[in-house]
Amino acid sequence: MSTAVFAPSRLEARIRVLLPWLLLGVLAFLPTAGLTPNIIRLLFITFVWITTSLGWNLLGGLTGQVSFGFAVFYGLGAYSAALLIDRGVNPYLSFLGAGLIPALASVFIGLPTFRLRGPYFAIATIGVSEATRVIMNNLAITGGASGFRITEHRPFHQVDHYYTALGMAALAVAASFLIMHSKFGMGLRAIKQDEDAAADLGVNPYSYKLAIHAVAAAFTGIAGGVFARYAAFIYPQGVFAFQTSVYILLMPVIGGIGTIWGAVLGGVVFGIVEEQLVANFPQIHLLLYGALLILIILLEPDGLAGLLGKLFRRLRRSKRKNGNAHSRSREADEVLRGAGSG
Amino acid sequence: MTFVDFLNLLIAALLLAGIYAVMSVGMTVIYGVMKIVNLAHAGFMMMGAYFAYELYERLHLDPILAALLAFPFFFLVGIAIHWLLVRWLPHSDRPTLQSLLLMFGIWLVLQNIGYLVWGNTDRSILTPRTLAILHLGPITISTLRLLVFVAAVGCMAVLEIALSRTWFGRSVRALIQNRYAGRIVGVDDEKTARLTFGMGIAFAGVAGALLATLFSFDPDFGRPFLLRAFVIIVLGGLESVSGVALGAVILALVETFSILFVPAQYQPAISFGMLVVVLVVLPGGVASLWARRRRLA
Repeated sequence: MSTAVFAPSRLEARIRVLLPWLLLGVLAFLPTAGLTPNIIRLLFITFVWITTSLGWNLLGGLTGQVSFGFAVFYGLGAYSAALLIDRGVNPYLSFLGAGLIPALASVFIGLPTFRLRGPYFAIATIGVSEATRVIMNNLAITGGASGFRITEHRPFHQVDHYYTALGMAALAVAASFLIMHSKFGMGLRAIKQDEDAAADLGVNPYSYKLAIHAVAAAFTGIAGGVFARYAAFIYPQGVFAFQTSVYILLMPVIGGIGTIWGAVLGGVVFGIVEEQLVANFPQIHLLLYGALLILIILLEPDGLAGLLGKLFRRLRRSKRKNGNAHSRSREADEVLRGAGSG
Repeated sequence: MTFVDFLNLLIAALLLAGIYAVMSVGMTVIYGVMKIVNLAHAGFMMMGAYFAYELYERLHLDPILAALLAFPFFFLVGIAIHWLLVRWLPHSDRPTLQSLLLMFGIWLVLQNIGYLVWGNTDRSILTPRTLAILHLGPITISTLRLLVFVAAVGCMAVLEIALSRTWFGRSVRALIQNRYAGRIVGVDDEKTARLTFGMGIAFAGVAGALLATLFSFDPDFGRPFLLRAFVIIVLGGLESVSGVALGAVILALVETFSILFVPAQYQPAISFGMLVVVLVVLPGGVASLWARRRRLA
């Protein structure tokens, strides 16, 4: 979870290290356990969402730059993969393209918009993503507004897609972990806390933001590409929709901004709830998330992960009296209170 | 392009600017007093549109009249929302991401309530006046747009009077200039913020209702207008009411005359692109250009 408030015991530390591997093992083993295609599909979608959620979290959570424009990268990734696969390129090579092109686009978008800070950056990203959709709606190479059907000249195995998505999500977790525990990640955290102070300490906020924007865009793009290959049909109003940006933003914020497990939890909850609700009550789905967002902003900036952590700590405190009252992680507080966003 | 065409476009642009100003001014006052970027503005504009629609469909009330009725209604709604949610935000001299996300959450809720109640089919308000045209020699003016313009200018005039002549207006201007100094001289910032928020939302409702007479709408109605409102308030320098009028005129002119140069399907991209350009190039608004020129001279 986030900052270790208690000194973790050795057993706890061991669990913390082992848990991700255990989870990965179980998930890798699952398809052989005879799950229905429907459940595998649900897990697949969840992995896609987890990846986008982790991607957004690197920029929005770790660096404190809230973007409403991640559908641009998701959509560009989806279309890059679609065009490449359709031309007979190996799908796994295509996913590289699906990461590369959004990363390039992110630099192109970031060069002007990172001159802005905090909410102004956020607003500018709305403009960028709307403009991109209008252009994609009219572009001939992608089939315009009527969408693009992907013809892949190999048999369809759902399990292939499952493992691709699982691998991608695992990679995103690993990359997030490495970035957060690197010097680079420390620099990003410094930018979130106070951009000017970070600059004084020798961190160049502009190039740091550009770099993490590119990494986040690459992961979001690959997720879009993996999804496009599975869906076999994509259209601008779907992958480039403002709604998609909203989804990608809501997951990490609701799950727990700035932490890996928060972003993952957000993706899991979102994927499952979405599958259950979106088919029958698409409006209730977002209504629920809007209300949840309001509650989380006002009451629990650490999101669901923070809430779980609190419950867990309370359970333990009742066992061991001398608890530390310091419960809310500073991570989320800093992001939400807009430190370094002036 | 003949001179008459030019005049027609110019008049169309100015009429559009009126409604653009009303739609943006609510965001400006809320930003000025509370430093909150009100993303929920779009949601309240959408609600305003349906407010006029329901009054017209059920009670056959004239939509322009309904727009005026929207003012007190949305004023109360705004005050309720402020009391319920917004006042719990920590005060800040700068816009915070927390407030941005809270307003975004409110927008999401409003939008999806809209989908639940009215579904996602396009609605429009059609009156006998909708297609009526006024001929002034070679110049043609849509009667409805003229009426909307008059209503919009009326709203702006009332706001201007409220801000310049009343105690409330004086507190608003004081808080826009300097929150702390305002408090020191006895401005009740909590109460002023509440009233300001109500007023901002009221303007969103009125603007939505007026726009509904001109365009068809669905629960996602406010979004393109929200982005235009951003362009306008940034052009106007974020906190000034007269700046909003200026920004509205500039955007309306650019949008109207770009029809001559930009293919229709790319038209919506203009305001979105302009938003980014204006934010990056002119973050202080047009007035900052003016100030710079003066400093240099």
